[in-house]
Amino acid sequence: MRVLEASGIKKQFGGVVALSNGNLSAEAGCITGLLGANGSGKSTMAKIIAGVHNADAGEVRYEGRRVHYANPHEAKRAGVAVVYQNLSLVGCLPVWQNVMLGIERKKGLFLDNRYSRRKAHELLEHLLPDLDIDRAVETLSPAEMQIVELAKALAEEPKLLILDEPTAALELAEVRTLFDHMRRLAQHGVAMVFTSHRLWEVMEICDDVVVFRNGETVAQMDLRSGRHSPDTLIGYITGKEESNEERQTERLTRAPSHEIVLRTKHISHERVLRDVSFDLRRGEILGVGGLAGQGQRELMLALAGFYRHLKGEIELQGRKVGLTRPAEAIRENVLLVPGDREAEGLFLNHSLGINLIFPRYGLGTQPLFERPAQNREICRNAVSALSIKTSSLDVPVRTLSGGNQQKVVVGKWLSFDIDVLLLCDPAKGVDVGAKRDLYDHIVELALERHTSVILYASDNEELVDYCDRVMIMYEGRIVDTLEDRDVNADTIIERSVNTGDARARAESV
Amino acid sequence: MRVAESQRRAWSVRGSYERHKRIITAVGAIILVFVLGNILVGGFLNVHEILITVKLASFLALFGLCQMVVMAAGNAGLDLSVGYTATIAAVFTAPIMNGHNGHLWLAVLVAVAIGVMVGLANGILSSYARLPSLVVTLAMAEVLQGIINIYTAGRMINGTPSPVLQTVAAKSTGMVPNMVFVLAVVALVALVVLYRTKLGAILFGVGENETTAYLGGINTKRVRTLAFMASAVIASLIGLLLLGNMGNAFKDMGSSYVLPSIAAAVVGGVSLRGGNGNFIGVILGAILLQALLNLLVALGWGDAGKWTGFGVVLYVVLIAYVGDKRTR
Amino acid sequence: MNPNRTRVAPRLRRVFAQPEHASLVVLVAMVVIAAILQRNFFAPTSLMLTIDALGPLILLTMGQAVVMVCGALDLSSGAALSLYTCVLTWIMESGHPLTGVLALGVTIGVAVLVGVVNGIGAGYMRISSVVVTFATSFVWLGIALFIRPTPGGQSVNWFNAFFAYDSVHGMPKPLLTFGTVIPPVLQLVLLACLIWFLISKTTVGRYIYAVGGGEDSAYRTGINTARTKTIAYVINALFILLAALFFVGQNQSGDARFGEPFTLQTIAAAVVGGISLTGGRGSVYSAIVGAVIIELVNKIIFFANIPYAYGTLIAGLIVIFAIGVSQLYTIYSQRSLAKRNAPQ
Repeated sequence: MRVLEASGIKKQFGGVVALSNGNLSAEAGCITGLLGANGSGKSTMAKIIAGVHNADAGEVRYEGRRVHYANPHEAKRAGVAVVYQNLSLVGCLPVWQNVMLGIERKKGLFLDNRYSRRKAHELLEHLLPDLDIDRAVETLSPAEMQIVELAKALAEEPKLLILDEPTAALELAEVRTLFDHMRRLAQHGVAMVFTSHRLWEVMEICDDVVVFRNGETVAQMDLRSGRHSPDTLIGYITGKEESNEERQTERLTRAPSHEIVLRTKHISHERVLRDVSFDLRRGEILGVGGLAGQGQRELMLALAGFYRHLKGEIELQGRKVGLTRPAEAIRENVLLVPGDREAEGLFLNHSLGINLIFPRYGLGTQPLFERPAQNREICRNAVSALSIKTSSLDVPVRTLSGGNQQKVVVGKWLSFDIDVLLLCDPAKGVDVGAKRDLYDHIVELALERHTSVILYASDNEELVDYCDRVMIMYEGRIVDTLEDRDVNADTIIERSVNTGDARARAESV
Repeated sequence: MRVAESQRRAWSVRGSYERHKRIITAVGAIILVFVLGNILVGGFLNVHEILITVKLASFLALFGLCQMVVMAAGNAGLDLSVGYTATIAAVFTAPIMNGHNGHLWLAVLVAVAIGVMVGLANGILSSYARLPSLVVTLAMAEVLQGIINIYTAGRMINGTPSPVLQTVAAKSTGMVPNMVFVLAVVALVALVVLYRTKLGAILFGVGENETTAYLGGINTKRVRTLAFMASAVIASLIGLLLLGNMGNAFKDMGSSYVLPSIAAAVVGGVSLRGGNGNFIGVILGAILLQALLNLLVALGWGDAGKWTGFGVVLYVVLIAYVGDKRTR
Repeated sequence: MNPNRTRVAPRLRRVFAQPEHASLVVLVAMVVIAAILQRNFFAPTSLMLTIDALGPLILLTMGQAVVMVCGALDLSSGAALSLYTCVLTWIMESGHPLTGVLALGVTIGVAVLVGVVNGIGAGYMRISSVVVTFATSFVWLGIALFIRPTPGGQSVNWFNAFFAYDSVHGMPKPLLTFGTVIPPVLQLVLLACLIWFLISKTTVGRYIYAVGGGEDSAYRTGINTARTKTIAYVINALFILLAALFFVGQNQSGDARFGEPFTLQTIAAAVVGGISLTGGRGSVYSAIVGAVIIELVNKIIFFANIPYAYGTLIAGLIVIFAIGVSQLYTIYSQRSLAKRNAPQ
């Protein structure tokens, strides 16, 4: 029975088109995989069928009827459950209370705790057999928490279960257990939609798969027939690469020197960074790639001095430095363009001018009384250097477009000497036209000033277009470093996705 | 998100109104109260009356400045210890001055020292220990009250302010009370410091977005501690002025100013989330509250009306300005 | 494996690590010190006096604990207490016995209103609860001053039953004995415990903890967080009312400023009793332990012959100390949690 049918879905956020033609169907008792690179639209699709967003166009049919959910709660009541990563658990409550939260059964006026405990126990019996359901959720490991989230979604006996990257925090054995349970659910007639970046997982558990690229569904394939190989899937995910001849040549003619500007030795931070060592040469643009959330952002923050206690050593031009505060990093001319511009890079309600000038106050060389004329001069230089489109310096920065906002985040460093520029996903949420413009400006500046750049981009095309070398990160480690001709989208995805091989390679090194 | 060109243009035209909406509302409300007072009780709309109101409001406005500085630093900062800080400064400096001008400079020094210590304690507990500032400063107020109790147990608070202080705080030049001049000077200094020096820019930045400020190289915890210190120092100096106005120090000198100072700041458009603060707005808020108080007293609802009125005003203003307008 | 019977040994270990049990130890220490300083501490009359001082603080702290567990604070506790005493004694001014019933009914309504107003600001409008209740504390003060500009008023004779059965004319003998064995103040505390017991067994009781432990998570799960917070504030208001009944029975008068010093004490007492300032943790019953500790500290100060003037100072320092230690404990346990979750 076709439980879900979504066709012709279009969705736009502000000026950014997330989906232009999304199609997806799910059958009872079948597991459908969703594949696609970052920004391909697959997450938006998952959110639309979960009731988190509403499609701008197209229709969603649930159990044959056309549906339009006002909010996720409505979807839940209709039998659509979503398993996210740790978003709806209350840490200080025990496991069994969390699993039944919101759907507790009552005996008259009072809670039927016996029933809740029994139900929670049943649900977790196969998933986590030795788990003490009286433990507070916050004492569990992230993997265990993910399973509890799953149990919580299952408690309402949904007809359609959407699992959004559930295996991200799981070890191999746990993934296998999860898959066993999913198969059992399938036998009971539950329809499932499963997303993961790991190709082997999709190929193992899914009955069919839908591939997204650039906001469209580009392929729907039945995996049971065994006719499809991983390479075919990768082909659909990456699409045909438009050869960017100019980009390639520009990259090849820009020969970074061999002088080592930054060297890291065995950087570690809690769970998110493990034993990261690499060199950065003067004038080079070094990319950081890999699946989302593997420690790339944290590496940027670490180099920017955000973490007070960082294990390992950092050397700048051969000199050992301690970067325990952003102010120290700034003094060493290591400057960060942070990943979340609204939360980390901008003062949304303040004017463009103040945003551009602010880091100068931290320098200590600024005079007590402001020199408005001088300040405006600096701001105007930044605006013209980056072609920031604005009517005046006094507009609040929140009225600017995403691309222009991002330019402001970069622009505030322009009056500084920059030895190392850390770019943390600078084009995130910026639409395609502005993206090219933004990068052109940044690269130009870097070239002019012989600045070295470390670029983390969630979109692999950006890495390919601009980087000399690309490091692939997985679970906080650098598992591979690509150079020259290896720097292309296919290889990046391969090395990020087929991490089984890559990890073995890294471990054997 | 891309903002359409037309939306951006609309902002700049509407911008002036939007930005000053709260101040315009405050001025409107003040006029309303004065007119209402004149109708109901009479005698509200003569210049003398208005100037007295402004004089009384000056003290409140200065306390409002303390709140503004702490609120601007962000993180829902508030300073409930300003009342007793002012009181304790008055109590300890009165005997030093003892009615003469000779030791005025020493009195000022002592007051500043008191402010520094109180502010430092408030700041460290709020910024470094991350305790909620409302509870910290409330407890600090209790501690200060306790110290005053100990000091005054079984003895009279002696000492009178120096004549200079009395002239500044209590007397007038012609028709205009001197406190109005004091307020004007403070307003000027505040405006300059907040809008023309890097201190103000850093303060507003830290309040607007602590992470961005930190990544921009600012020691945000130190800035917030300094904000509390500034608030306490200003409060102690207000204590000297109160002493000058009253003629001697007594135990409850400052405590009745605390709630209205917060109300004045909120009415004056200072955001509880931090990142902004216009002292002119706070002054207007203080004048509004003082006028409201005069009206209530004139109507015979003195004490009770005062507290109910201020409480209700703050509650309503909080809902109107701060209340959750976002849908989740 | 029967899920309803968990393993014993780990459970025991967990029990001792909790902050509530640390406060039990402190409690015992306090009682010992108090007994040493006051020779006749355990004598019936002085014990009665201690319990009479303790009872209302326990009730107020339990109420504050409910709000704190829900992730909020109530700074209008003391003012609400004063307001209720004023309303009660005002309605009973004529002295007619039936006015007592009327007073009771009306004040219950007032209490619910107080809770709802706080809940609207902190829950529905999502304004910081400290600021909202700070504002409302002055509204309650103002209204109380309207009703009772100066302390005074009346309470009908049967109302004294809330304080001591033997001060009620015409009290039947068996009830008198009952009243000596279990003094009314303890009855009120037991009533509050019963109310909380019943509530904690319902969905609302669970949700109060959920909202306090993780408001966003609770919201995503579909729980009405605003309504839950409002209910917590109403429960608090009712517990404060019980304390007001005791005070009116004891003093037969109402005073608009009477409750002021209590507010901070309830916060410190709840924290000392193991309730976390951030919410979601702690048992409301352990608030009782906290209240006893705080009251004993007051008593010790009195008997150690520290001058009364120091009282306020020490009270303030105790609050700072109590919440400071509680915060340190929270930071410490969160850090050890993070370390435990780290692999290798």
